[in-house]
Amino acid sequence: MQLKPRVAAPTPGVRRALAAAAAGLLAGGQAEAQEAPEDAPATTVDSALLVYHEVNRVQAIEPEVNVSHKLNEDSTFNLGITADSLTGATPLGAVPSTLPQTYVRPYKVIPLGTPVTVTSASGGSTVVLVPPPTGAKTQTLAASTIVPSNTYPLDRGFYDRRVAGHLGWEQALTQNLKLDGGVAYSKEHDYRSESAHIGLAQDLNGHNTTLSAAINYESDLSFPIGGTPTPLTQMNGDWKGRNATLHEIDAVVGITQVMSRRWLATLSYSYSDEHGYQTDPYKIISVVDPVSGQPNAQLYESRPDWRRKQSLFFDNKIHLARDVISASVRGFKDDWGIKSLTADLRYRWQIVSDFYLEPHLRYYTQGAADFFHYYLVSGEAVPQYASADTRLAKFHAQTYGMKFGVALNEISELNLRLEYYDQHGNGSPAGAIGQLQQQNLFPDLKAYTVLLGYTFAF
Amino acid sequence: MASPCVVLVDTNDAFLGAEVGEIVKTEALRIEAKFSRYRPSVVTHINETAGDALQVDDETADLIDYSMECYTLSEGLFDVTSGALRGAWKFDGSGRVPSEDQVRDALRHVGWSRVTWERPILRLQEGMEIDFGGIGKEYAVDRALALAAAHTRAPVLVNLGGDLRVSGPRQDATPWTIAIEDVDRVGSATGILELLSGALATSGDTHRFVRRPGVRYGHVLNPTTGWPIADAPRSVTVHAATCTEAGLLAKLALLQGARAEEFLKLEKVRAWCVR
Repeated sequence: MQLKPRVAAPTPGVRRALAAAAAGLLAGGQAEAQEAPEDAPATTVDSALLVYHEVNRVQAIEPEVNVSHKLNEDSTFNLGITADSLTGATPLGAVPSTLPQTYVRPYKVIPLGTPVTVTSASGGSTVVLVPPPTGAKTQTLAASTIVPSNTYPLDRGFYDRRVAGHLGWEQALTQNLKLDGGVAYSKEHDYRSESAHIGLAQDLNGHNTTLSAAINYESDLSFPIGGTPTPLTQMNGDWKGRNATLHEIDAVVGITQVMSRRWLATLSYSYSDEHGYQTDPYKIISVVDPVSGQPNAQLYESRPDWRRKQSLFFDNKIHLARDVISASVRGFKDDWGIKSLTADLRYRWQIVSDFYLEPHLRYYTQGAADFFHYYLVSGEAVPQYASADTRLAKFHAQTYGMKFGVALNEISELNLRLEYYDQHGNGSPAGAIGQLQQQNLFPDLKAYTVLLGYTFAF
Repeated sequence: MASPCVVLVDTNDAFLGAEVGEIVKTEALRIEAKFSRYRPSVVTHINETAGDALQVDDETADLIDYSMECYTLSEGLFDVTSGALRGAWKFDGSGRVPSEDQVRDALRHVGWSRVTWERPILRLQEGMEIDFGGIGKEYAVDRALALAAAHTRAPVLVNLGGDLRVSGPRQDATPWTIAIEDVDRVGSATGILELLSGALATSGDTHRFVRRPGVRYGHVLNPTTGWPIADAPRSVTVHAATCTEAGLLAKLALLQGARAEEFLKLEKVRAWCVR
């Protein structure tokens, strides 16, 4: 009868033999697993090339390399180097006019008596010789720029090169306490910045909550070409000499909280205190005729030598099955009277395991600084602080971006980010005087960013 | 695997859970794809080329070596070549039972003793087929858990269609709670047990059987006779260090039929039988 099979009672000890056989099978598999690149590579290199182009304004090219090396389970060392080169035109701060305008700024100091050929310098400026005061041993070359009528005045000779680097260290002190510190240095032909920071992060609640605090000190030295002008004096081609310093302390406290299995939220508050020279030595402000609106003087701008900034940042990361949504909002205010709000949304769309698209939207809006003026009016009292820099004006901006990322293999990724920035201010402020009513006092700014990045680990 | 699969990660890191889930899923799907007997795979290739000698890769060779040991240890009751019998028996809940001739025909293509295995060369006789269905899922659990544990120190539980393994106790040193499914009412639990370490595997006819008035033929066939094992427990759940081991012990217990409990006791195996 088939339903009564011959059942061979296995000899005791099957279990032990089986356990050994199973262990053998799985050991083979584990050896294979170890070859797979699950182990976190010790060194990660991020490299990127950024091209930034403002329509009719500046253009920047910026290569960047960041290296992060994990020394052991508890400490990580990182190093970054950036170099960039900026060329193009930047707003002077002056108002346009129905008449052509000439601006002069110091350009170079040369020994007295050096023969000078007047030529057309790059960027449409003309080099002129400033007559030296009696007894002087040097004379100054100045760049003179003629801005055509009804044209927004730009300084076309803008050129800058910057080299920057940072060095950092991250150390786990205990399983839940992490310390990080670092120094940074940056140098331009007219500016130098040095900073150091230290921070602590404490995990609580079984890594559910992270409290962090950090402090950063920065010391800057500004040595503008032509020197540091006296605020609110008439722009001229004289060499002013004199460097200026700025000191800044920033403190940040934050809390990161796991809200649910898929939602991570960070709230942070930062406070900065700046003391020293904050005026832009190249920016001017026009003084206009109270009736015609024609500029009749150009003064160097003036900003307070203090600034206290505060910001509150709320960031959320929501992990869907494969995709990640990042949404953040930042509120900012300072005692210059600027208030701003930034809303940022990114969606990382993991189309296949080795390819993702990340659309990016950002909205930014800010109110003007108390001392922002499109222009000053002749005959009225000159305020203590005045700037016509549109970065201190009321404006709003949108950024539309798209990032493409391709994982080339388990340890390297190539990505390309394209962004379009569109800034709008009020070009026709209420109460504009005379000819200024016909002028655009705040042209829209459009900028494109292309960032090509390559990350690999070994 | 056409069965519900669950990965539990005992962590507060929201992203870690998703990452580990992805690792387990990738490995489970890899093993399923490699050893599927339905879709083009290493197994279908072996079966299609039955009659010819074929060189197999290391992982397949490891599984074959293991299957052969199981065959020897079980004195022929566990046999990866019993696939031909499935042609005769359709465990779809219907009442169809094959004739003795059909079973005898099928048996001519069954038996590890007819296989030539000289690692890495495998030669099945024409008409034979192999099937890792009896060990593949448990093997996938162990492999996936090993990968998950290499990725994180957080406690992990991998459950592929009821066969499961934990990396260790939970974060707070407490055991994991496991429900044993009721054989008659799918989805409800007949018992709750706690697991601090190791693996659980269940073998039985919970989902697959042939029913005839008065007789319920379980899906465990005796490859030496071609007929289902009589008087076998409805299901056997075994605890062992690895899922592969637990799965085999559960199957071997089932193959003992009426003597399943006796076998488990003799082997000092922690097990639960449902009759």
